[in-house]
Amino acid sequence: MAQTHPLNLPATEARRKATGAAGRKTLEKIFWYTVLGLMAVVTAFPFVWVFFTSFKGPNDAIYSVPPQLVPQYPTFDNYTRVWQQLPMANFFLNSISVAASTVSLNLLFTSLAAYPFAKMKFRGRDTIFYLLLATFVVPPQLSFIPSFVLARNVFHYYDSILALIFPSLATVFNIFLLRQAFKTVPDDLLDAGRIDGAGEFRIWWSILLPIIRPSLATAAIITFVYQWNDYFWPSLMLPTMTHKTLQVGLVALQGAFGSDSRGIAAGVVMTVIPIIIFFIVLQRQFVRGLTGAVKG
Amino acid sequence: MTKKFSLTPYLFLTPALLVIAVFVLYPVIAVVYYSFTSYDIVTPPSWVGLSNYQRLFTADPIFWQALKNSFIYLLVTPILIVLCIMLAIAVNRKLPGINAFRALYYIPVISGSIAVGIAWRMMLDTNGLLNSLLISIGILQEPIQWLSEPAYTLPIVMLLTVWMGLGHYMMIFLAGLQNIPEELYDAARMDGCNDFQKHWYITFPGLRPQITFVAVISSLAALQVFNEVFILTGGLGGVLNSGVTMVFYLWRQAFRLGHAGYASAVAMVLLVITLTFSIMNIRLLERGTEAD
Repeated sequence: MAQTHPLNLPATEARRKATGAAGRKTLEKIFWYTVLGLMAVVTAFPFVWVFFTSFKGPNDAIYSVPPQLVPQYPTFDNYTRVWQQLPMANFFLNSISVAASTVSLNLLFTSLAAYPFAKMKFRGRDTIFYLLLATFVVPPQLSFIPSFVLARNVFHYYDSILALIFPSLATVFNIFLLRQAFKTVPDDLLDAGRIDGAGEFRIWWSILLPIIRPSLATAAIITFVYQWNDYFWPSLMLPTMTHKTLQVGLVALQGAFGSDSRGIAAGVVMTVIPIIIFFIVLQRQFVRGLTGAVKG
Repeated sequence: MTKKFSLTPYLFLTPALLVIAVFVLYPVIAVVYYSFTSYDIVTPPSWVGLSNYQRLFTADPIFWQALKNSFIYLLVTPILIVLCIMLAIAVNRKLPGINAFRALYYIPVISGSIAVGIAWRMMLDTNGLLNSLLISIGILQEPIQWLSEPAYTLPIVMLLTVWMGLGHYMMIFLAGLQNIPEELYDAARMDGCNDFQKHWYITFPGLRPQITFVAVISSLAALQVFNEVFILTGGLGGVLNSGVTMVFYLWRQAFRLGHAGYASAVAMVLLVITLTFSIMNIRLLERGTEAD
């Protein structure tokens, strides 16, 4: 045993080195998982806590030292109470109507506008385009005072979800995003369409739109999430309870339920769950949308 | 190519331009006009000249407080840049389950500031989770009134903004990191760079476009913050206006107090600040690309 064959020496050394490297690898892995795990606690904990709180029964403490996280007497009562005392079904319906109609009409309008900016030469193109870009720096809240006046005195859609749909029918951001997408389509394809006798509208509809479908999905997701979560403008426009969207309704719920934390938690969970499911299903498109937006 | 006037492009543009003209361009002009009037939205505006601005700058300490708070709020931008680059570096590695972590960090971004703000408000309540946690591990003896202590209001609201932005800007930096060629890091290792030097000399310069983008976007968002302030202060702006920012003040003047003319003057100040900021940012961006 004491005799080591000289030829074995480098082999064991290599093996020791190899196991050392592997050991370092596992250590590194443990380190990174710890960091990532701690961060996950920071970002997810409020959701977990609200989720558990929404199922707490009257005998489960909200405030106690030490704190109680998991309900011992889980119940759905908080959800039924919220559902009974507030028109939650209306809130959902209103939010879905606003988001769906805004997304579809906005994409229609902005993809129409993006086509000439990307592929046509016409007088005033650059001037109009830069004017649009300049509106990026206008704080949206600045327009709310005149928009409020328009809603009450001109369009008369105050206290209706139309007040949320009309101002969102076109956004400069989406025009810009879709213009970038149209630019990547080769001109030859359009010329081929023209030789076949297609008009500009046909070209836009049956050649361009199918090609840029990923960008349309991105724009749709961004618009949907923005509309779903929007609060400032909807809160100004929707005083009647049954006309409110989810976000505005949630603030009303918070006011109505006062110190009933269990009920408020149930309201928060109901508001957040749909958008989280939406995100999990469309995760890849979400991320692509973001990185695409930076490049543009 | 025959050059002849065609109506087609304008037809494509009309629907979108009409909407933008009515809801973006017209409001900018109208707000300039309103800022010179006394206006409560119900009765027609009446011209008052510069008196809104005069009052704003000489007789309104709360406006100055709001201005100060909004500038303090800009601190979220450097904090977000540093934290999110670190976070992006942490998630930019091939580990089993890494996508689940990235997704988890993204959830606060999409959940909406109202729902998230209400959750925070419940945790920060005097009878809330944070106090019971701190008392049970012995850091506190007595519960702290986190949301009614003027010194804490603005930092807590800013913390919420940072927390909600982490996942968003992390993803942007992550996309940037993945565009940096691996060979650069190999070369750095050959030259004997340690981990810190590696990031200092390669990651940061490589992320320059993303850093500029995040700086622009997050500072504009910081200047326009409303939801977080509204929800964490219960619509009141905090004790002694400690959480009042420019947009919150605009909202209160226009839609709580019915001073739409005065609020329009606040909006004009906001517009001028945002414009100055954007021009500064674009200058910085241009300098950045010249250097490349």
